[in-house]
Amino acid sequence: MPDTSPSPAQPGGRFSRYSSALLLFFIFCAVTVVGLFAIRDLRRADMQEQNMYTRSVQSLHRIADLEYQTQETRRSTLYALSTADSNLHVKYADQSREADHLVSEGITAYLTNARTPNEMDIGRRLGRDWSTYLSVRDEVLASILEGSTKEAVDLDLTKGVESFDQVRDDLAEIERVYDQQASQQLSTVDATSRRTIIRVAGVLAITLMATIALVWTIQRIRMTGAIQLAKLQMEFVASVSHELRTPLAVISSAADNIADGLVMGADDIKKYGAAIQNQSRQMTELVDQILLFSATKDRKNQAALRSLDVPKILHSVIQQASELVRASGFQIELEIEPGLPPVRGDASALARCLQNMVINAVKYSGKSRWIGVKACLSHSQSRGQTEIQVAVRDRGIGIAMTELDRVFEPFYRSPAVVAEQIHGTGLGLSVSQNIAETMGGHLTVASELGAGSVFTLHLPIAEDSRSQVPPETQVDGTEK
Amino acid sequence: MLRRAHVLFILVCAAPLGGALLGCAFAFAQFTAHEQSAAERNLAIVVNLSNPVNGLTTADLRRVFLGERGHWPNGRRITLVMLEPGWPERDAVLSSIYHMDETEFSNHFLHGLFTGEVFVSPKTLSTPEGVRKFIFNVPGAIGYLRASDVDKTVKVIRIDERLPGEKGYKLHVPPRENR
Repeated sequence: MPDTSPSPAQPGGRFSRYSSALLLFFIFCAVTVVGLFAIRDLRRADMQEQNMYTRSVQSLHRIADLEYQTQETRRSTLYALSTADSNLHVKYADQSREADHLVSEGITAYLTNARTPNEMDIGRRLGRDWSTYLSVRDEVLASILEGSTKEAVDLDLTKGVESFDQVRDDLAEIERVYDQQASQQLSTVDATSRRTIIRVAGVLAITLMATIALVWTIQRIRMTGAIQLAKLQMEFVASVSHELRTPLAVISSAADNIADGLVMGADDIKKYGAAIQNQSRQMTELVDQILLFSATKDRKNQAALRSLDVPKILHSVIQQASELVRASGFQIELEIEPGLPPVRGDASALARCLQNMVINAVKYSGKSRWIGVKACLSHSQSRGQTEIQVAVRDRGIGIAMTELDRVFEPFYRSPAVVAEQIHGTGLGLSVSQNIAETMGGHLTVASELGAGSVFTLHLPIAEDSRSQVPPETQVDGTEK
Repeated sequence: MLRRAHVLFILVCAAPLGGALLGCAFAFAQFTAHEQSAAERNLAIVVNLSNPVNGLTTADLRRVFLGERGHWPNGRRITLVMLEPGWPERDAVLSSIYHMDETEFSNHFLHGLFTGEVFVSPKTLSTPEGVRKFIFNVPGAIGYLRASDVDKTVKVIRIDERLPGEKGYKLHVPPRENR
């Protein structure tokens, strides 16, 4: 005999309801992470480009300035050769010295900014070669100023040109080094940009694929739901047709027999009348069930809620069902906790709900012929409220674990029940669930295949009666 | 009464002290002006910083300026630098060292270069600054400048063991006029 306490199954497929939201969340996370990587790469590439540009421009400026000033040093020296005026000699010598001073400063700046050993070597070599040239230049200038032009020209051609070419080679070497560094930085930036493009493309691809997957999933869920609904409706129509046709056939054949004069005696007529009456009642009940489902389906159509005494309604339901129960040879074990507070609800709806639960227990009890009904006060941990629980227990065929979630779906009927030829519309539990929710409660089920089932109606107690509930019951929800 | 005596005492003491301070300031100003004036009036003989020669006698100086000596002791060729005619410094050199006027100076070098008795042809520059820069650039150059125009780029040599401004220094130049 299963108990009500172990994790009662809740109606409805949660995964199907939340799967799209979950998928969206994962997509958002994935896109955000990859997007952050892409943004980081973009920023890094941007900074590298800025650094490369700044360094390249500074390097070009420095090397261009050095080249210009070295040329200016030599040009001023050579200008002095072109005149015999001592005043101009002095002026050109002055210009040459100013330029060589700037070159020396440029070399110092280059050495200060040099980062690699190669750059340092080239810078030091340039400094040495420049000093060598300057010593020759000084001699040339001295010769020019002394008036020994031929001697100055000879000195410049023999030593000056060579040493100046050496300086130019050093400057060309520096340019080559700068070119190499710029190429390396360019390749780095290029690699970073390529990686960024791949990542951005990845983000777009992921987003696209995820969107397609999401749309496909949503469409599939909707389509599956629609197909299931259509199937259930078809089954419902078939079931209802069958349920209607059977009593109609009985009524029709009874009427034919009476009309044809086959029923003669008063006892027979009475027997036929009772059969017609019984079948008519079944049909009425079936139609009422369908109409009730339609009414409870619309949650807005709520009956006026008022304070209800659950034990009283429960006794009434048991009494109404007693004829059916007795006829079927069932034994009902009723246990009601004394002093239960009232709940708010609609009396007829609550009665219908409890009636459905009892009739269900009768229908699916199999050969055990025993039904247990228990009403008690309890505290719901999940909802954080005190409620009245009405549990209807049977020792019947039970429900498979895979079907527990579906028994509250409208029109759903277990294949095992259909195979057992137990008639029904598949609306009873759905109607009961709707009624319970209308009154702020819910319905749960716990079952074990072959051992029986427990359907529990949870109803929150009325607001005005909460203060009357004993404190110990409110706190731990257990009976004292 | 006592207070008045104190004031009188302070005045009596302070007056000589103030006078002494004023006198010192006046004397210092006079000394500075005199020094500046002396630097203006002294004519310095300057050579390149690399020149090992630190001093010459008046006779040696005259030989160098007349072009009768061609090289310094370190083997460097002597290059004589003169200011253009009209500069007081040139006039002072002509009168103090050459004992010649402009015509005699020109004739001396024309004749000397022609006969080979003179080894140096003087270079003529238009400003004292040009002279200073020339001497800075030419290791064997020698020239003259007002002591006030001398800076660290050239070396002043002693003449008869005396530097410009020292007692007994013979080379002087009239005060500078606005040119």
